[in-house]
Amino acid sequence: MKQVVVSAVGVHKTYTLPGAWPWSPKSEVKAVRGIDLTLHESEVVALVGQSGSGKTTLARCILALEPITEGSIRLEEEPWHELSEKARRPKRVKFQYVPQDALSALDPQQTAIESVVESLTVLGKESREDATKRAEAMLHDLGLSHRLHALPREMSGGEQRRVTLARVFALQPRLVVADEPTSGLDPDRQDSVLEALINNLPDRAGCILVTHDMAQARAWCHRALVMLEGQVVEEITFPDGQPTHPYAKMLFDPWGDHDLSQSTAQ
Amino acid sequence: MIDPDLLLDMQDLTIRTPSRVLVDGVSIQVRSGRCVAVIGHSGSGKSLSARAAMGVIDVFPGLVRGSLRYPAYTGEKDWFASVRLGVVSSQRALLRDTRALRGGYMTYSPQSASSALNPGRTLGRQLQIAIGRRERPPEDLGLEIKGILEEVGLPPRAAASLPGELSGGMAQRAALAIAIAPNPPLLIADEPETGLDPVLRRVVTELMINVAKKTKVALMLISHNMETVERVADDVVRLQIPTVSHDSLGREREPDPRLLPFLAPAASPSHHATEPGSASTPHPPPTPEQAELPQEEA
Repeated sequence: MKQVVVSAVGVHKTYTLPGAWPWSPKSEVKAVRGIDLTLHESEVVALVGQSGSGKTTLARCILALEPITEGSIRLEEEPWHELSEKARRPKRVKFQYVPQDALSALDPQQTAIESVVESLTVLGKESREDATKRAEAMLHDLGLSHRLHALPREMSGGEQRRVTLARVFALQPRLVVADEPTSGLDPDRQDSVLEALINNLPDRAGCILVTHDMAQARAWCHRALVMLEGQVVEEITFPDGQPTHPYAKMLFDPWGDHDLSQSTAQ
Repeated sequence: MIDPDLLLDMQDLTIRTPSRVLVDGVSIQVRSGRCVAVIGHSGSGKSLSARAAMGVIDVFPGLVRGSLRYPAYTGEKDWFASVRLGVVSSQRALLRDTRALRGGYMTYSPQSASSALNPGRTLGRQLQIAIGRRERPPEDLGLEIKGILEEVGLPPRAAASLPGELSGGMAQRAALAIAIAPNPPLLIADEPETGLDPVLRRVVTELMINVAKKTKVALMLISHNMETVERVADDVVRLQIPTVSHDSLGREREPDPRLLPFLAPAASPSHHATEPGSASTPHPPPTPEQAELPQEEA
């Protein structure tokens, strides 16, 4: 029996936007509206949808980087949202987040190996020597052995992404949430980053991959949840599953014959 | 011999820094009513070529070779003549002289629209400035702005909004609207669909096809999305990453090892192709059973 890493039930997230004046009416944006998600270990699940469909919000809610409005999220039997941040803090090592913008996530004054070593000594409580050895091995696995002492601004976009991946994987987390790890890269580099991500996932870790590219989800994930306006409209299991919902079909083959009025593009 | 149909004629453009070749012998011709797509890997000099085609050069004069003519507009005049000679002030002079052409004869639709639009001016005002570059001003400015917005699929009220209030897809359309507002014969679009999701990409591409048809503008499209190129382009120019580098004394040097996997096959020794991170073909994810086996690398 495979262990469940994430079990989210009925997750809602509503942002309240203030009006122009303190007494003006407040408006609400319902970013996530009732999502159930179960993720087992060694499973890669994609969250797919257009921009603005709530993928990133859901990913951040799962890790309690944002408080949720309603519902419950359990990470490895921990009632994650009921814990205080103080109690969550030491357990965050096991549940890691790969941010969308790698350049702003890396310390501009730390070289590649320094940022990996720091996350290992601070979060992983390892000695400096062990951490350095582990960091070197990790960066080597991700194909960065020639860039150990490069600063973020000296590296290409793909290399920056791989440093953020190394920093996360070195901690041997149980869950990796990757938020559009390939956005802003050109198609040649996208696959190399995804390959590094999937091939180096720690043993038995679960992974949630946020993307808007269906071809990526199909090539690298076990299943995909198609999101539209904060709700899951369809769940597709790869490699056999085919999209049936019109919105999912449209995402999968944007150049087919579709009624585009459903998309958020209009 | 002047061909009045030929809007842009750039021959053998070569741009280098003291140590590297950035663009290697690129020739691009754009005829009126046609769409030329420029494709290539990142680092092959697509954007640099596009900027050079507008008379904007980012390196010292003397490091540029080639010729640039706008036969339909300035006849046989070669705009790169003084730049080729390496006259120190020529780069700035070129920028100043072609200023009259940019915005009227040719316009540019930038790569990341949301950061390229002026954040402090409403879209309507920016359109008004762009329309002001026309030879003959329209009779009713408000109506004209409305018409242009409609053409790119934006609501009329978008004219009153600042660029910060627009979503990514809307900003991209706004940039396109500003680019077509002066009724230019030639439009240069630099990756107009990067960073958009697949459906928006289709919307923006279809929009470009429609606009090009309606306004009979000649399009020079830079892209690395083959689907877009197949649908829009009449001619395709493929750029290769320049293989030969030079050191500061002009001697040939080995290419940057990081670029090797992306170079033409003849230039890349086979052992580099297996370097980690260079493979670009996705393969299916491990099945759950395979994934449970202990990994040797871990």
